[in-house]
Amino acid sequence: MEARNIWDLWSKHSRTTPDKDAIVVWKAGEEPFRWSFSSIVSQAERYTLHLKKAGIKKGEVVAIIIRHNKEFFPLYMGIVGLGAIPAVLAYPNPRLHPDKFRQGIIGMSHRSGLDWIMTEREIHPILTPLISEGTVKGVHFPLEFPLQEQFSDEEVKLVREKRGAVTPDEPMLLQHSSGTTGLQKPVLLSHGAIVRHADYYGKSIQVTEEDKVVSWLPLYHDMGLIAAFHMPLAFGITSIQIDPFEWVLAPVLLFEALSQEKATLVWLPNFAYNLMADKIHEEEFEGLRLDSLRMVINCSEPVRYQSHERFSNHFKAYGFREEALATCYAMAETTYAVTQSEPGKVPAVVFTDREKLGKGVLLYTDSPESARVCVSSGKVIEGCRVEIVDEEKKPLGENLIGEIAIQSVSMFDGYRNYPEKTAEVLKDGWYYSGDFGFMKDGECYVIGRKKDIIIVAGKNIYPEDVEDTLNKVQGLLPGRVIAFGADDTEVGTEVLCVIVESEATTPKEKADLRVKILENALANDQSISRIYIVPPRWLIKSSAGKPSRKHNKERILESNEYLMA
Amino acid sequence: MITPEFKASILKELRLDDYEIKDETLANQIPGWDSINHINVISAIEKDFSVRFKSIEILKCKNIGDLQNLLTSKLAKK
Repeated sequence: MEARNIWDLWSKHSRTTPDKDAIVVWKAGEEPFRWSFSSIVSQAERYTLHLKKAGIKKGEVVAIIIRHNKEFFPLYMGIVGLGAIPAVLAYPNPRLHPDKFRQGIIGMSHRSGLDWIMTEREIHPILTPLISEGTVKGVHFPLEFPLQEQFSDEEVKLVREKRGAVTPDEPMLLQHSSGTTGLQKPVLLSHGAIVRHADYYGKSIQVTEEDKVVSWLPLYHDMGLIAAFHMPLAFGITSIQIDPFEWVLAPVLLFEALSQEKATLVWLPNFAYNLMADKIHEEEFEGLRLDSLRMVINCSEPVRYQSHERFSNHFKAYGFREEALATCYAMAETTYAVTQSEPGKVPAVVFTDREKLGKGVLLYTDSPESARVCVSSGKVIEGCRVEIVDEEKKPLGENLIGEIAIQSVSMFDGYRNYPEKTAEVLKDGWYYSGDFGFMKDGECYVIGRKKDIIIVAGKNIYPEDVEDTLNKVQGLLPGRVIAFGADDTEVGTEVLCVIVESEATTPKEKADLRVKILENALANDQSISRIYIVPPRWLIKSSAGKPSRKHNKERILESNEYLMA
Repeated sequence: MITPEFKASILKELRLDDYEIKDETLANQIPGWDSINHINVISAIEKDFSVRFKSIEILKCKNIGDLQNLLTSKLAKK
């Protein structure tokens, strides 16, 4: 891909494949709206002109807080066309208290330096106070822009000239790494990083002109924004975009869109595999086929072997091929992907001794009872390097557990306005991910987060393992369990604690549940010291939708409630 | 018009003793009816009335009154 900036690529596709679908905006029960490459680029240019007229300047950060809407896509591109920096933020959930949402945005505006907000009139009253409290200069409603307005040839020429002069090292977008709103780290990515990443990542999954991506992923998440939006747009292939809110209510929508549009590529977080295998009625599948799928890429949370198995077994009757299962290891700081499993091959798995793994020792085993099944996230993609390092940041080589360190040609330029945090993770060109893993036969296995590891009397416990165990306990809400370590000064070490969401209310129900939890944990050699049984929806989620260990730990330790053992 | 049986089915699933539900009430105005619980509430109604909803039918419902009408039409066809 020879391009100075991302707009060069979009512009090229609008000339070479003007009528090809760029973005298909999927809405349940409606005829999908189709942006061709030429129509979306023209519309984006109209937005650029309007944004310029509104006083927005090159280099300013423009937050977009808009629900699923066909205009989102050209608006985003129009901001890029101006040389401004788009930052996609989540639209507030109706349940979220307006004050909480506003506080989150204020926190984010101070950290990220948000200059402008593009939103819908409905949430204007919530956002208006930001103009005095944060860094925000103004709020606009782009869905109301008079896009039919004509601009002079001179104005259009000026915009095009400025757009063409954008160099690869200039900032292109701001995305927020996962975390609770207001505390997320703002990741600034350049045009060059995006272009190079699209090129190398596209090669690793062998993208062809015939490919089509389908996605329900929110665009404020790196997987939704980079894998399912930027990558296809840069490659000139079609991306079918589903409303994330509609997908939550009707997960079958993904398969409807996929089947009708004959999509070939999907990215999903692990929980979606379970949800779709368990919650979609068979009769809803009538007439749907999954034969077109060549890759379903599991990314953004630890890959569970059982989830793959469940998904594959459930959907093979509809044409799903097991070899379409794929995995990826990615993060916002490297634009997106670092490793990727090979297309057409089921990701490798290894059985490791769970107990030894807990001590940071990798021991392969043939005994499934005592094993943790680790799924490979694939090989390092072109343009990236991975080293497994010890605590002194010295390389460890294969078959040893350590922190995953990464070099990438599409590395971020640091956390915006956060030099101390940048210095913590970025050293001598290496990004220290805080993830623990190992390499085997050139494949990367990610097994947990360094900072979440619980050390109980010298033994390392991965909270994911405990959570996996408890997720199988009847009476607990699946996926609504977190494990963490807490200092116990009496014993002089950390103790293993769990918070579980359950509908159990009576003392007897809770006591029975406690016994079940302890039995299951013991069967997996996990000794739990404290169990907190909390009601449904108690756990605080991060913006990625996963319960946050850190914030829930802080909350429960402050509350003095719910302790069962 | 929300029937007492339909209302009871929703309240039972959400573990609410009572809550005012009108035709124009939105699902997310009822305590506990969130994205996680949505599938459970729908499943409970399906079970209580021995009907089956299609996702697209549910998505077309703008409020609880629409869901009641959908249920009534399903029951009429039985």
